[in-house]
Amino acid sequence: MTEMDKELFTFQRADDSESEHIAAPIYSYWRSVFRKFFSSKIAIVMMILAGIVILLSIFQPMISGYDPMKTPYINTPSMKYIRPNLTYWFGTDDKGNSLFDAVWAGTRNSLFISFMATTITTVVGVAVGMWWGFSKRVDVVMIEVYNVISNIPATLVAMILVYAIGSGIWQLIFALSITSWVGTAYFIRVQVMIIRDREYNLASRCLGTSTFKIITHNILPYLISVIMTAVSRDIPSFISYEVFLSFVGVGLSEKDPSLGRMIQQYSPYLVSTPYLFWIPVVVSAFISVSLYIVGQTLADASDPRTHMI
Amino acid sequence: MSTNDVKEKEVLVSVKHVDVTFTNGRKKFRAVTDANFEIYRGETFALVGESGSGKTTIARAIIRLNDISAGEIKFQGKKINGKLSKEDKQWVVRNIQMIFQDPAASLNERATIDYCVSEGLYNFNLFENEEDRVRKVDWALEQVGLLPEHKSRYPHEFSGGQRQRVGIARALIMEPSFIIADEPISALDVSIRAQVLNLMNKFKKENDLTYMFIAHDLSVVRYFADRIAVIHLGRIVEIAPSVELFRYPLHPYTNSLLQAVPMPDPEIEKAKTFNAYDASQEVMDETSRLREVRPGHLVFMADSEVEKYKQKLEDMEKLHHAE
Ligand SMILES: Nc1ncnc2c1ncn2[C@@H]1O[C@H](COP(=O)(O)OP(=O)(O)OP(=O)(O)O)[C@@H](O)[C@H]1O
Ligand SMILES: [Mg+2]
Repeated sequence: MTEMDKELFTFQRADDSESEHIAAPIYSYWRSVFRKFFSSKIAIVMMILAGIVILLSIFQPMISGYDPMKTPYINTPSMKYIRPNLTYWFGTDDKGNSLFDAVWAGTRNSLFISFMATTITTVVGVAVGMWWGFSKRVDVVMIEVYNVISNIPATLVAMILVYAIGSGIWQLIFALSITSWVGTAYFIRVQVMIIRDREYNLASRCLGTSTFKIITHNILPYLISVIMTAVSRDIPSFISYEVFLSFVGVGLSEKDPSLGRMIQQYSPYLVSTPYLFWIPVVVSAFISVSLYIVGQTLADASDPRTHMI
Repeated sequence: MSTNDVKEKEVLVSVKHVDVTFTNGRKKFRAVTDANFEIYRGETFALVGESGSGKTTIARAIIRLNDISAGEIKFQGKKINGKLSKEDKQWVVRNIQMIFQDPAASLNERATIDYCVSEGLYNFNLFENEEDRVRKVDWALEQVGLLPEHKSRYPHEFSGGQRQRVGIARALIMEPSFIIADEPISALDVSIRAQVLNLMNKFKKENDLTYMFIAHDLSVVRYFADRIAVIHLGRIVEIAPSVELFRYPLHPYTNSLLQAVPMPDPEIEKAKTFNAYDASQEVMDETSRLREVRPGHLVFMADSEVEKYKQKLEDMEKLHHAE
């Protein structure tokens, strides 16, 4: 073999730390959620529309000061049943009040009821569900509670309750959420049981992490997406519950306008002055759909598995 | 190695007559039966057995993740199974740490590496101030060859080997005296196995650690462990110093595991015959238990088998000296 010229070779230092660098840009969970959410055009449009509806329902009633008990034009036939025009965008009703004012005042109450019921359902449901999923003793009791409550129709419970405690916004919120949290709790319990014994949670326990901290740091972040999904289902479903209960005549009293009450009140005019009936129906459907799509897209975006692609 | 030390060895962990039973509805399944062994301070004790033999179950019983249905586990002479006071539980956590089998599953994907490594520090307030915490985390990461810049990253951005080193770093930062490593390299690429083993050896020397190392084949632990326990279907069938076990494997199941260890000699490899281990050939009665064949070498056998194993050991010794 011919002698190799040693001059041709130089020693190369191997630096292990070089290979440890991660070239990808820093990952941030919430930034990725927003990027993913805003990559959906439909979601953006729906969010803007839902935003307008929410703003209108908050501020329009303040300006108009609508009150269903005040009927200054009740004896002025010329003010009644005016079809939608430039002055009265949604026309006027059987009492001579502007439907535009009535719709937003009604939407405000309907949204308020739905948001409050959803918040209570979610907060109570998630808290109980976490506890339920972790404690065997709680499981024994809660599974019975669940079996009983899930076998009684929720609408029936709400109707009976409203009869018993009287009608009103808070009463209705109470009647709607008294049973609904059980469903959310059960759903969370199942999720917790699935991920509770995953190795990373065992590792946390080996590091001395308390159950409470495991729930808040290890389990809840994994459930953001499924909780968002549940919320985006609950909001429209509470809106329709309210509509349904008001339509059958339980729930809210005369002095609380709501989409459901309007639909019920105007249903006799379906033939003569259909806009009175259809406008609240369309508004209620529109709110439900737009909030649902926003919620679903947000739920999707908050699942990190969607961030990679 | 410390195996032939004449001086008295200090027992760090003692596992006595431990059973672990899982109940699924009405069905009961005994995953570990009458486990008996001691781990001495400063040694690497290996637990080897095939998949499903109960290795993880024993490890989890020691670290209090699984309840035991019989027996007693002691650490530094103090009982650590069953109900413990809050202080004692914390004492166990501070002293015993675990490296998990699956690096892909053992890190919280929604937490940064900074949090993953600091978790134990937060739980016990093991830092004076934020500066001190950062210094400790940086130290732990540096020990395992990771960079401070990794702290703001999430586990999914790391390779299997890097994740496993994060797992080692979060155990190290607790400054434990005993680490249970549950197949820490079986999920890793062959090329980085040696790196992780070398790291572990380095820490053992620097920090006066004792290891319980779990593996499913003997080749991994041959040069890494001081003593080896072989487990089969929830029962420990043989315990011996690793040199002794490789030289004089007495239990037929140990033999069958050894067949799977590749030898660097093509002649031996060629001449190998594979005998599947058949447990029904063993004598199994109420006298069956681990017995010392000679000091430090224990084999699971019945009364009637004592002579057989003594003879087997003698024969093997003769053969060994003849070579
Ligand atoms: N929580 C549990 N409930 C019921 N059975 C279990 C549970 N954990 C483990 N087992 C069973 O106990 C036996 C021993 O399992 P273990 O995880 O200890 O095996 P292993 O030796 O660690 O195997 P591997 O090498 O695959 O990790 C298996 O048959 C397993 O199915
Ligand atoms: Mg295992």
